[in-house]
Amino acid sequence: MSEVQITFNGKKVTAQSGQTILEAAQAAGVDIPVLCYHPDLSAWGACRMCLVEVKGMRGLQAACTCPIADGMEIETEAESAVEVRKFVLELLFSERNHYCMFCQMSGDCELQDAAYRYGLDHFTYPRPYEKLGVDATRKYFIMDHNRCILCTRCVRACSEIAANHTLNLRERGSESMIMADLNVPFGESTCVECGTCLQVCPTGALIDARSAYGGREKDVTHTQTTCMQCSVGCKLDVVTRYNRLLRVDGVFGSDPNGGLLCVDGRFSPLYDERKRVKQPLVRRDGKLMPAGWDEALKLVAGKLKQGGVEGFATGATTNEALQAFTALFEKMGGQAGMLEAEAPELGFGTEGKISDLADADFIVVAGADPLEYQRVIGYLIHRAADKGATVAVIAESENKLSDRADMTVSYADADKVAQAASEAGKVVLVYSLAIKGKVIAAFRPLAEKLSYIALSPARNAKGAELAGLKQMKSNGAATKFFLMGEQDADESLAEKLNGAFTVVQASYLSSLTDKADVVLPVPLWYERTGHITNLEGKVLPLNIVLPMPDGVRDDAEVLAHLAEML
Amino acid sequence: MGKIKVASQWLESCAGCHMSFLDIDERIVELLKHVELSSTPITDLKHPPEEGVDVGILTGGIGNEEEKEEAKLMRSRCKILIAMGDCAVTGGICTMRNFFPTEEVLRRGYIETESTVDGEIPVHEDLTPLTDKVSGVGDVVPVDIFLPGCPPSADAIWFVLTELLEGRMPKLEGKVLKYGMDGG
Repeated sequence: MSEVQITFNGKKVTAQSGQTILEAAQAAGVDIPVLCYHPDLSAWGACRMCLVEVKGMRGLQAACTCPIADGMEIETEAESAVEVRKFVLELLFSERNHYCMFCQMSGDCELQDAAYRYGLDHFTYPRPYEKLGVDATRKYFIMDHNRCILCTRCVRACSEIAANHTLNLRERGSESMIMADLNVPFGESTCVECGTCLQVCPTGALIDARSAYGGREKDVTHTQTTCMQCSVGCKLDVVTRYNRLLRVDGVFGSDPNGGLLCVDGRFSPLYDERKRVKQPLVRRDGKLMPAGWDEALKLVAGKLKQGGVEGFATGATTNEALQAFTALFEKMGGQAGMLEAEAPELGFGTEGKISDLADADFIVVAGADPLEYQRVIGYLIHRAADKGATVAVIAESENKLSDRADMTVSYADADKVAQAASEAGKVVLVYSLAIKGKVIAAFRPLAEKLSYIALSPARNAKGAELAGLKQMKSNGAATKFFLMGEQDADESLAEKLNGAFTVVQASYLSSLTDKADVVLPVPLWYERTGHITNLEGKVLPLNIVLPMPDGVRDDAEVLAHLAEML
Repeated sequence: MGKIKVASQWLESCAGCHMSFLDIDERIVELLKHVELSSTPITDLKHPPEEGVDVGILTGGIGNEEEKEEAKLMRSRCKILIAMGDCAVTGGICTMRNFFPTEEVLRRGYIETESTVDGEIPVHEDLTPLTDKVSGVGDVVPVDIFLPGCPPSADAIWFVLTELLEGRMPKLEGKVLKYGMDGG
């Protein structure tokens, strides 16, 4: 890549060869309007808004696809270009329904912004008033074809970023329409509701059900934090207004997921219907009653001082809470461990990064179902497969990755996969609990070129590991302490209490809290400070998006306080 | 030079644009130093006089024959015609009925609505027939200035009027060019 000299509107700038006119313009601070272009998607050249005049070239060039050359002279607001842009806008407004007055995107719409920019104050051409469909068959977001300008950002996002290839265009000309699969309702399609299309849509065609009409950019607040729903640790941009959680957006270009989220991180947490623990609860005369923190903590500390305590934590909390948990048990004695199991140690190979998936030649998924539990990892595996990587699945039961994998074998045939992988350059082994010794043995010979990604079920598994916590079985202690965080409690936990004095630190009520003697509330993911450590070992920060309700205290603080009280 | 004569009319509309005009608040005192309000829906005179006015403001869309005639009358009696508000500019929210055949709309409104008992579509010599589609004013008469907004803000209306008073045709951009309620 070498430097070239080009001119924008009479002003000389230095650019990099290989850039398009648009890329060079953006780097130089020259504003060229776009509609179908998005910096994280491939250039499409469909909307014709970015047309510019290039001296010596016939006609107008689309800046998003035209490569620069040394000495190029570009006029970005030439009269001919502006006229065409106005014409494009007038044609767009003459089709479908672009009335702003009842559209939830009004004020933040890229089409509207373009119309303002070029002074469109009325529609020149007559409108056909055709009524197109509104697809609300998905739970979390809606597609209104009447607002769609067919920029195909959604199609490209679905295939390039999410690698799901659900969306496409059907028909031609004025009959063109975005469709899912072979024109089925979105709710019945292969759509995984990752919401990437929703985020890149420039108009009000794709509408988030929860945040629609909830506030424009000028009204809302953006807070970045880290997702706590699995061990990937995607960066989130959480949108709020006053005390209301509106929406979760991805942050394009961020580590480790590049802006790609999944339904578990983007949508589900905002629809959580579990009942929250809003203040400490203490069992009196057989019933759980609200209590003050002083009373509850005194009661717990008293029990802890008596000894015979065992502690169980889950990964649904912060590094700080897990470390305070370990510290508390170190101080008072008594064993502490995790409810969740860890993925086994391989004993060979290098610990991989999530980015290793992108340049792997051969990806093996063994005893893991990332498309279900760490979805972004699954999507990134699909993306690698699109780029030519071989994907092999080793599993005994149904695995969602098998649909698009090159081979799916049972554990007995792990050797075959290892054989095929031995010919490859870079091998990545993605595995979880169910990996068998046979599989591990089969891949040991490939140790030199193998990096692994261990998917432990606990969300903050690495945080737990670093706090020295491993899966633990009960030893029948008289007092049981559960650090549940936001994790759902398995039914069996309540059944196996065996009359022990039970203390539960949790965000939500559950079958376990129903049987507890003391319940201490824990803040939710968007109310927290602290950190989690993702599966790559990166320590990622949590930021307070909304304040926790009065009555709730940070679990790390409570654990430290209890340690002091001993 | 005497005062500029301004007339206004509301067609298929909610009257919101006239309310937005009144939102110029105390600026109306300044305005009336240079402007004589002729006919408006909220003053005594309902139509511009035969000798005509300088500036006409039409709000609301055209959805029936009477509104068509009103628009033509205003055009013929105004030197400069302003289509004010999304309904006058594009038909606005009234165009929601354009997605259905007119009989279906009338049937739904007068007969099929859930709380209606023994409804019937009214037909009377005083009732003007609906047009096939609701349109902006510009589809029926030539318009000189389009001022979109639902409603256009009082500042946008003030801008247009003051530009005209200064002898310039207003060029809408920035804060005074807003669609829908975006300016609000």
